[in-house]
Amino acid sequence: MQFWTITGNRLSDGVSVWYAGERGWSAQLDEAALFDEPGSRAALAALPADTELEVVEINAVAVTRQADGMIIPVAHREQIRARGPSVRTDLPAGPWRDAAAPLPPLPSSRSCSPFAGIYRYDEYDREFLRQRAREFATQVERRRRGELSEEEFKPLRLLNGVYLQLHAYMLRIAIPYGVLSSTQLRQLAYVARHFDRGYGHFTTRQNIQFNWLRLEDVPAALAALAEADMHGIQTSGNCIRNITTDEFAGAAADETVDPRLYAEILRQWSTDHPEFTYLPRKFKIAIIGAGHDRAAMRAHDIGLEAHRGAAGEPVFRVFAGGGLGRTPHLAIQLRDDLPEAELLRYCEAILRVYNALGRRDNLYKARIKILIREMKPEAFIRMVEDEYAALPPDYARLTPEIVAAVAARFPAPEFPRQDGGVLKAAMLDDRVLAAWVRQNTHPHKAPGYVSAVISLKPVGGIPGDASAGEMETIADLADAYSHGEIRVSHVQNLVLPHVPKDEVPALFQALTKAGLATDNIGLVTDIIACPGMDYCTLATARSIPVAQGIAERLAPRQHEIGTLHVNISGCINACGHHHVGHIGLLGVDRNGEEVYQITLGGAADERAAIGRIIGPAVPAAQVPEAMEALIGAYLAIRAPGERFIDTYRRLGAEPFKEAVYASH
Amino acid sequence: MPVIDAEARILPGAAPPDEVLPSDTRLEAVLPRLAAARVIAITFSQFRDGRGFSLARALRQHGYRGDLRATGHFLPDQFQALKGCGFTSFEPPPEHAPAQFAAALAAPHQPGQLLRRTVTRAREAG
Repeated sequence: MQFWTITGNRLSDGVSVWYAGERGWSAQLDEAALFDEPGSRAALAALPADTELEVVEINAVAVTRQADGMIIPVAHREQIRARGPSVRTDLPAGPWRDAAAPLPPLPSSRSCSPFAGIYRYDEYDREFLRQRAREFATQVERRRRGELSEEEFKPLRLLNGVYLQLHAYMLRIAIPYGVLSSTQLRQLAYVARHFDRGYGHFTTRQNIQFNWLRLEDVPAALAALAEADMHGIQTSGNCIRNITTDEFAGAAADETVDPRLYAEILRQWSTDHPEFTYLPRKFKIAIIGAGHDRAAMRAHDIGLEAHRGAAGEPVFRVFAGGGLGRTPHLAIQLRDDLPEAELLRYCEAILRVYNALGRRDNLYKARIKILIREMKPEAFIRMVEDEYAALPPDYARLTPEIVAAVAARFPAPEFPRQDGGVLKAAMLDDRVLAAWVRQNTHPHKAPGYVSAVISLKPVGGIPGDASAGEMETIADLADAYSHGEIRVSHVQNLVLPHVPKDEVPALFQALTKAGLATDNIGLVTDIIACPGMDYCTLATARSIPVAQGIAERLAPRQHEIGTLHVNISGCINACGHHHVGHIGLLGVDRNGEEVYQITLGGAADERAAIGRIIGPAVPAAQVPEAMEALIGAYLAIRAPGERFIDTYRRLGAEPFKEAVYASH
Repeated sequence: MPVIDAEARILPGAAPPDEVLPSDTRLEAVLPRLAAARVIAITFSQFRDGRGFSLARALRQHGYRGDLRATGHFLPDQFQALKGCGFTSFEPPPEHAPAQFAAALAAPHQPGQLLRRTVTRAREAG
C-alpha cells in the first residue's frame, strides 16, 4: 500500500530522519508516521515553527508498506537515502564517531615536510585559518540558536565547503592547484579516520571531500586542518573556487612556465575578495604552463595559458566562458599575450562584467558561459576591454614586488640525482615493472627524475576514493621518494612529482605491496566519475557502479585498447566531465530507471571538444556491453597505433552507432 | 531603522540618501549625478545579490567620495566585505540588529584580500 512519510536531515549531523509523530524525529524509517497524501500535507503544515532548529530539507516522500510491515520508499533516490550508499555496504551501521573519545596528537605536530614544494605559510597565515575555523564555529552556534535562518546559514556554510548530501554533511577541503605535502596528506588521513568514516574522495577540481562530517564536528575538523595550512574556504558557493592546474606543474619536461606561482597569486587574490564572493554562480579558474593541456583549461570560466613573450618574459593567453553542466561550452579567447602585471586587472574586469550582468533569475543560466553567448562573444570582449581600460591605473597591478613576495615562499627543489641506469636494467628483468613505468610515469624536466602517478582506480574500486591508511602510505612514500610532495590530478589520481629514476623500482615494490600499483593511467579503466546518487543530492543516477562495471568488463583488454578517456556523470551538472571524455556517459532517470546517454568525441586537452550524443540512452546494466561494442568497433577499424579519439575524428560516429544500436 | 557607521556605532540623525540605487543600476546612469551627491544608498534585494559590491567599487573608482550606504538585506558576516568595497554607512535589516554587526567586528579578523595582506607583510619584513 502507498503512504507518505515526512523526512528531512538532522541539522546537527545531517543524518536522514523521519517524522515519528509524538516521538519526534527518528533515524529509523520503520518508525516513521504514515499518512495519506492530504494527511502528509497537513502534517507538514502543522510542524512547529522551531522545527528548523532541529531538522532541515523537510519533504513529504511516498513509501510503500510491504506485507511484512517493512516500509520502502518509492523513489530510488529515497531508498538510497534510507539505506546508505549502495557501493559501501561494508560500512558498519550506527554512529561512527564517539565525540567524547580523546583524539591523538596531530601529524603536523611531528613534521612540516620541509622539502615539499608547497607555498609556505607563516604564523600570520595560520592564524587567519584558525580565525576562520573559529568564525565558522560561531556561525554554527548562531544557526543553532536561531540567529541565522537556514536560508542565511546555507551560503555561509557553503563558503566553508560544507554541503548537505543525502546521508550526511560533506566537507570539501581545498588542495590549492592540487599540491600537497606529506604532512598535509597525513592530516587529511587524520580527519578521515577521526571525524569521518575512514576515507575521502579526491575530486576533479584537485580537492578532497569527506562524506560523513557532522556539522557540530566541522569547526574542530577545520581547526585540525588549519594546523597543516589547509581549509575549506571557497570550495563551494557562488565565488571563485579552487584554482586548478597541471598535476605535473614544476616537474614536466614540456613545461615553459611553472604555473604554480601564478596559481598561488590567483588563490590569494581571490580569497576573501570583497567584491566577488556573491557572484551569480560559482566561478572556476584553471592555469597551465605547457603546450599540452592537462587541466581541461578551456572548460573553465577563466582559462589561462602561461607562455613566453618575445623577451622570454611570462605572458598569458586568456580564455573565458568555458563550462560543462547542462549547456557545455569551450572558452573563447580574449587575449593572446597579456603581460604579467595586467593578469589580475584583466581578471577583475572579466569578473566585474560577469558580476554585474550575469543572470540571477535562473540558476541554470547564471554561469558566465551563458552571458557570453547571450550577449555574443564580440560584445562581451568589448565590454571587458572597456571595463579594463576604465580601471584606475594602479588598481590590482601585479607588480614584480608582489610576484617576488609570493615566489619567496616556495622552497626551490633541487634535483641533484643523475640517471644511474638502475631503472632501465630493472625494466629489462621485470615486465610488470616495465608496464607500470610505461603507463604511470611522466617525463621530468630533470633527466635523472620522473613523475610517478599512483592510480586511485583499482578495478572494481571507487574512482578517486582513498582510505586513511592508503593516504598515510602514500605520504610515507612521498617522504621516501619525492621530497615529501604529492599532487592530485583532475583525473582523480595522486602523483609523486619528483622521483629519482634509480629509485623507481623500490617505489614500485612498495606500491605493489600496498595494493597501489594499478598500471592503468590514461586507459579505459582510469575513469573519471562523480559520486553520483550514492552520495549526492543532485544526482539522478549512480555513477560509481557503472564505472565499476565497465572497469571489470574491460580491464583484461585495456592495454590492447590503449589511451581512452571515459568520463561518467550522474546528472546533467556534469561533475564527471562527461562532455569532454573520449567516451562520455551521462546518467539520467527515465521513469525510475537509471539510463545512460553515450557521447563520443569529447576531449579536455589542447584539442578540447564537446562530445556528441550518439543515440538513445542505454539502461545502466547494459552500459558495459555497449562499451564493449564501441571498443570492438574501434579495434576492428583503427589504423596501427591510432588512439580511439583519433579513429573517431577520422571516421565520425557512424561505425560506433552501428556497433551499439544494430543489435538492439 | 538606525544607521550605523563602519565601527557599528549608531549614527543619530544620519542624513537621508540623495540617491537610492537598486543593485542592478548601470554605472553610466548615475555618473553624471555623482558630483552633486553626498549620500548614496545601494539597496541589496537579498544578501546573495552581489551586484551591490561591484557597483560600490565602481562608484568609488569613478571618484565618488561621499557617504556610501548599504540598505536592504545583508548580513553581519558581510560587514568586512562591504567595507572593503567602499561602503561607509549601513542600515541593518530588521532581522539583524546593530548589535550583531558589532559582534562581527569583535572577533579578531584580518580584513581584505589575502594577497594584499601577504604583500603588506613582506614590505614590513623587508
